[in-house]
Amino acid sequence: MLLRVRGISEIAPEIWQITIGGEFPYETIQPGQFLMIRVGSGKEHVLRRPISIAAVTKESMTIILRVVGQGTKWLSERCIGDSLDVLGPLGRGFPRPEKDARVLIIGGGLGVPPLYFLGEALQAETDNVDIVLGFRTKEHCILTGEFSRLGHLVITTDDGSLGINGNVIDAVVSLRNSGRRWDYVYSCGPQGMLSRVKQHFSSQDVKGYVSLEEHMACGVGACHGCACPSEDHSVTRRICVSGPVFAWDEVSL
Amino acid sequence: MSYPDLSIEIAGLHLRNPVIPASGCFGFGREYARFYPLNQLGAVAVKATTLKPRMGNPTPRVTEVSGGMLNAIGLANPGVDYVVRYELPWLANQDVPIIVNVAGETEPEYVEVTKKICASGLASAIELNVSCPNVAAGGITFGVEPEVLQDLVAAVREVCTIPLFVKLSPNVTDIRKIALAAQAGGADGLTLINTLIGMQIDIYRRRPVLANRTGGLSGPAIKPVAVRMVYEAAQVVDIPIIGMGGIYSGEDAVELIMAGASAVMVGTANFTNPFACPQIICELEDFMRKQGIRNLEEIRGCIR
Repeated sequence: MLLRVRGISEIAPEIWQITIGGEFPYETIQPGQFLMIRVGSGKEHVLRRPISIAAVTKESMTIILRVVGQGTKWLSERCIGDSLDVLGPLGRGFPRPEKDARVLIIGGGLGVPPLYFLGEALQAETDNVDIVLGFRTKEHCILTGEFSRLGHLVITTDDGSLGINGNVIDAVVSLRNSGRRWDYVYSCGPQGMLSRVKQHFSSQDVKGYVSLEEHMACGVGACHGCACPSEDHSVTRRICVSGPVFAWDEVSL
Repeated sequence: MSYPDLSIEIAGLHLRNPVIPASGCFGFGREYARFYPLNQLGAVAVKATTLKPRMGNPTPRVTEVSGGMLNAIGLANPGVDYVVRYELPWLANQDVPIIVNVAGETEPEYVEVTKKICASGLASAIELNVSCPNVAAGGITFGVEPEVLQDLVAAVREVCTIPLFVKLSPNVTDIRKIALAAQAGGADGLTLINTLIGMQIDIYRRRPVLANRTGGLSGPAIKPVAVRMVYEAAQVVDIPIIGMGGIYSGEDAVELIMAGASAVMVGTANFTNPFACPQIICELEDFMRKQGIRNLEEIRGCIR
């Protein structure tokens, strides 16, 4: 679908927020789903870029991306009014908790945006939301103001320049020590962080969901590029269609 | 003005047009049926199928390069029994001929998979994959030695009850010798080219981008190689050729047909644009109409 850029801004160094409008089934989008966005219009860039959805309104959606290569650089150079060739919404999003469930959201770096969409959607279902977000430094922090309105927010930075000096697990441990308990844990971020989160909660009675990231080619399940082994390594799961959100006992992290 | 006729006869198959999504780029068809009815296509070539299920290689398995991509999927597939039971029956109901890509590590494995596919009665043709560059044992070893290839094709030919195509690797010194060997083994047709072996390095992390280190290069970057190799093969064999390699438009398809291909396969373009195949069919028809070409035989192999 051809959509148009409605707004674009650099919200942190090399991190861009782009709002896209135009005819699209916005009301069907589930938190955790993603888009495949074409880069350029010619044959130079053959692969679309998989990008998560950070927020949705009735007539637009917002994505947040970091410039990591030529494709994301091209996206960051769009202007208001430019068209974007967007495929989506794709994949399976986060399963919702039951009413008034106690929820913990854990995000790291560029894993944070889809969790904001989730956090907003959860407002209708529960008031018991704790949020732990980890970033490298204060400079890299994104969406902290927005998240602070969604629940009890704890920020960690690797260098201590904002919030707790440490990682997200340190923050989770300190929340537990202060008596907080959860029924659901939703997380998205670097693979190492997701692995540590899963390990941390492995002996506890919580439902956990992770959103995974991987190089993708088709985004629709055809190419088997974005495979992830199941927990017992007996089969592979395609992140684009069986995920990107998985219950953490479905996949090996 | 009359409409041009896009239909073709190839190795005993009648196809409504010459555009076929390439193996590995179209799953088992279901994934693209959400975008358009598959009966618009000439045929569908499904993902490589092996005797046992295969998990494939570690990730990253795909990466973009200028004008193309590298893949090292590693023949991930659920195995022939699952394919015959759960994938082909659905696709067989879509009113489009099915070409099943068969891969293996040993001659008996190729033979066994071919038997099972033929016995299912669901496939229109077999495409023998002797050119996967991404698995250490098997595949490619059959595709680079003419004598070995001829023996394998002959063994599969003996049990294959439907048209047999052999998919050739471009990673050889002389494509003509390989093409002739496949023909001598009894192939009903050739498909070429598979991907060229490439590599990309992440210079900041100082390591290859793909977990497999190397991967198959596909996309617009390889089209001139495909045109040359289809042309060279067409000069020496009498069996029909399905050409592929970087086809993104009707004009690209015409180029391969003029080089000697009877039909074309479209791979990477499906990823860039899920509607690539129907668009290529429209553009091909448009080209024929504007050029006053009534059927594809008029231009096939017109480059001598």
